[in-house]
Amino acid sequence: MSKTLSASLEDYLEAIFHISAQKQAARPKDISKRLKVNNSSVTGALKLLAGKGLVNYAPYEIVTLTGKGKTLAEDIVRRHETLRDFFEKVLAVSHEDAEEAACKMEHVVSREVLENLIQFTEFVETCPRGGSKWVSGFRYHCDAGGEHADCEQCITLCLEDFKQANAGDKTGEAVSLHELNPGQKGKVIKLRAKGEARKRIAEMGLTRGALVEVERVAPLGDPLEVKVKGYHLSLRKEEADTIDVERI
Amino acid sequence: MKASIKVALAGNPNSGKTTIFNSLTGARQHVGNYPGVTVEKKEGTCRHGDVQIQVVDLPGTYSLSAYSIEELVARDFIVEEKPDVVVDIIDASNLERNLYLAVQIMELGVPLVLAFNMSDTAKARGYEFDLETLSELLSAPIVTTVGNKGEGITELLDAIVSAAAKQDTWQSAKIVYGKEVEEELAKLAPLVARETAAAEKYGLRWLTVKLLENDQSLLEMVSSPELLAAVEASSKHLQGIFGDPPEIVITDRRYGFISGACTETVRSTVEARHTMSDKIDTVVTNRLLGLPIFFAMMYLVFQLTFTIGDPFMGWIEQIFGWLGGIIEGFWPAGSESALKSLLVDGIIGGVGGVIVFLPNILLLFMAIAILEDSGYMARAAFIMDHLMHKIGLHGKSFIPLVIGFGCTIPAIMATRTLESRRDRLTTMLVAPLMSCGARLPIYALIIPAFFPQQWHAPMLWIIYLIGIILAIVCAKLLRATLFKGESTPFVMELPPYRVPTLRGIVIHMWDRGWMYLKKAGTIILGISILLWAMTTYPKKEVFARDYPAEIAQLQAAYPKDTGVKNAEALQAKIMNLQQAQRAEELTYSIAGRIGHGLEPLLKPMGFDWRVGTALIGAFAAKEVFVAQMGIVFSVGEADAESEVLRDRLRENYTPLAAFCIMIFCLISTPCMATIAVTRRESNSWGWALFQLGGLTALAYVLTVFVYQAGSLLSIGTG
Ligand SMILES: Nc1nc2c(ncn2[C@@H]2O[C@H](COP(=O)(O)OP(=O)(O)O)[C@@H](O)[C@H]2O)c(=O)[nH]1
Repeated sequence: MSKTLSASLEDYLEAIFHISAQKQAARPKDISKRLKVNNSSVTGALKLLAGKGLVNYAPYEIVTLTGKGKTLAEDIVRRHETLRDFFEKVLAVSHEDAEEAACKMEHVVSREVLENLIQFTEFVETCPRGGSKWVSGFRYHCDAGGEHADCEQCITLCLEDFKQANAGDKTGEAVSLHELNPGQKGKVIKLRAKGEARKRIAEMGLTRGALVEVERVAPLGDPLEVKVKGYHLSLRKEEADTIDVERI
Repeated sequence: MKASIKVALAGNPNSGKTTIFNSLTGARQHVGNYPGVTVEKKEGTCRHGDVQIQVVDLPGTYSLSAYSIEELVARDFIVEEKPDVVVDIIDASNLERNLYLAVQIMELGVPLVLAFNMSDTAKARGYEFDLETLSELLSAPIVTTVGNKGEGITELLDAIVSAAAKQDTWQSAKIVYGKEVEEELAKLAPLVARETAAAEKYGLRWLTVKLLENDQSLLEMVSSPELLAAVEASSKHLQGIFGDPPEIVITDRRYGFISGACTETVRSTVEARHTMSDKIDTVVTNRLLGLPIFFAMMYLVFQLTFTIGDPFMGWIEQIFGWLGGIIEGFWPAGSESALKSLLVDGIIGGVGGVIVFLPNILLLFMAIAILEDSGYMARAAFIMDHLMHKIGLHGKSFIPLVIGFGCTIPAIMATRTLESRRDRLTTMLVAPLMSCGARLPIYALIIPAFFPQQWHAPMLWIIYLIGIILAIVCAKLLRATLFKGESTPFVMELPPYRVPTLRGIVIHMWDRGWMYLKKAGTIILGISILLWAMTTYPKKEVFARDYPAEIAQLQAAYPKDTGVKNAEALQAKIMNLQQAQRAEELTYSIAGRIGHGLEPLLKPMGFDWRVGTALIGAFAAKEVFVAQMGIVFSVGEADAESEVLRDRLRENYTPLAAFCIMIFCLISTPCMATIAVTRRESNSWGWALFQLGGLTALAYVLTVFVYQAGSLLSIGTG
């Protein structure tokens, strides 16, 4: 698709997309202003685009994107944003430079390269070996030159951070027993059921401080099977809901 | 030393209590009921040396709070009957929870012997016990046993006898509930001693603790407003301190005491995270496989019950037929003796009608015993609870309802496993809608008579399905009206899987079989005789036509040498006459008159007086319906396979009316025995009669609707 359009035509399409997003419809004047080109070039470009069925255009009227044009424009915008984010967030390039570079590269990058770039950006953000610290490490590297700090310590720190991040916000978190997934454990903090039911639950060994592990959920999704004091007990979700536990 | 002592066996469910009881008493046991309630009471005796020991099996419970009738019964027995020794059977492989009951018995101050049963399993799981220290901490002798191998029984008896000898000086361990609770207990105790008469019986400390624990059944006994106010105040005070009501604090402390004792004396040598039982469970209660396995199990139970049971049923029928023939032989052929009729038709027929279901019942209970002893039953409840909860019942209700497909009597008896009265009554009341085995002969007779081959199976399914749907609707309705309120919590133990023992299964089968013969059998037999009388008397003396004369005329008109064909035709004509006479006799009998009397009521359902007469029989026991139809149509001995009877039915009824007969038999009038058992299990004639009236009314309304709608649309009227 994009191969049939020249780089400048893609720029026009992108401009129309942005202008319409702001003002519903684009006038040729807005386009020439945004792209810093003269009116006659705009008219020519619009005629070409209309010929390809991408915009609805008649002289002296406002310009709108056709369905096909819109799809294409969205694709271009997405490529632009992906590239810009990569330059800015991963390669630590300034916002303006990132915008400019993205503007130029968006027309030539193939779909596959683009997809992988998106994946990579995501990966860097989430992988514990990457992450914001790693990126800022790279920034430091750019600023300070090739000096390397103690790699071993860096990795150890990273590992500790990871452990904490994974467990830190989970352990000690007070949830109801119902919210634990099979295989997760907790320690009973409080029984919120009333009367007989509460007494029964306590008598079966779910007393304060008792360790419980959710073993499984029944095939129809309701009673839970938990392990407490070394034996197996089944509880309905509504009862499990009244048991507050601390995640372990 | 006393020459005779009384011992009560207490213990958690699944601790092997029944097994130990059987080992102790062998065959010298009998089953009764605790007075006033429907909890089974097993008693037995044994001798040890020169001491005669009476053993009472208390119901299996997790605690002694008044949570269920069973707990109340166990507690009252210990308090009121003052056994010389209480033996607590403990599943040593699940020590902490099992000790919770022990601790409560301990607090009652009775001499207590702990049997650490399942010690083989405990060992296999890598537990090691310091029994000496534990015994000291709990101030109770401990004996290790392996119930299913009979190990440790002699030692247990030794311990019982020596504990009984020490009962006057028995000193129980005391649990200290912590400063705050103890302060309140000390404050309340003098008041309890002064204001209640029961303090002596229960023990002052125990009673005070229980009152603070908000034990409803004991609080009801307290009449002093001063004491009630003081308990209330203490309770508020403790709630303020702990943020939990005292019963929870006390439970916490008991478990605290137990875990303190256990950390000191129990060592776990291997970390057995995944036992065999866990592995089985990952398959059996698996998200995907759980339901298919469950249905396969249910299918197997039914195959076992009916496929294996059927030949036995055939043999039993043959034996009784043969017996009837022999007795008939004592009288000259064609005799009209009333005694002969009573013996052959009334008694032998009645006894046969009772015994014929014995194979099914025994096999069904064998299957149930296997499922129960192996631990699968709890899984079945676990798997089905979601569905059952939706219709306002408990997962455990599923089991009685499934049994209901076999026979309603044991189904109603099985509702005992339900803890809440509401769940229990609802299940009991709708259980007859599960089409029982005794109704099968009715369908088996009617369906082939009226419907083409390819419709036989679907028809049967439709009938069963109607029952199930109605049961769901009725259960929902009951829970929304009469039994409104919170459903009981589903806190149910999933015991480890075990290989059931043959002995356990046989005893279970024997118990249930005997119960059936005794409770249901006597009623069925009684009603059979009554029915025989109702269909025989009063005897008709003057007939509309002179049958003997007409028969003689016919015989005279056919010379002997006219060939086989003519002789057959002659026989047929004579038969017609005899049947007409029999029908005339029946019309004249009490049953016939009632049937006739009911006809205006039955008409809207498409039934005639004959169906009415047979329905009277069906009230005795559903399967009597078929035999009764046979008599009414004078086709002699009729069973579900009788083609002659089917022909007669086809001549007299439309398929629509036949379908209505099946629906009516499905829903209406649970048999006499059902009513009797419901009365016994609910402890009230009110519920039994409500069940009878409600179901009959439902059946009537529904059948009238189906018949009238069917007639209007001309479905099955041809
Ligand atoms: N391994 C093992 N199984 C036992 C022992 N005692 C009983 N059982 C089995 O445990 C199951 C439940 O026993 P039962 O007496 O019905 O338990 P109850 O519910 O307490 O009456 C049965 O299958 C017994 O065979 C024991 O000491 N060791």
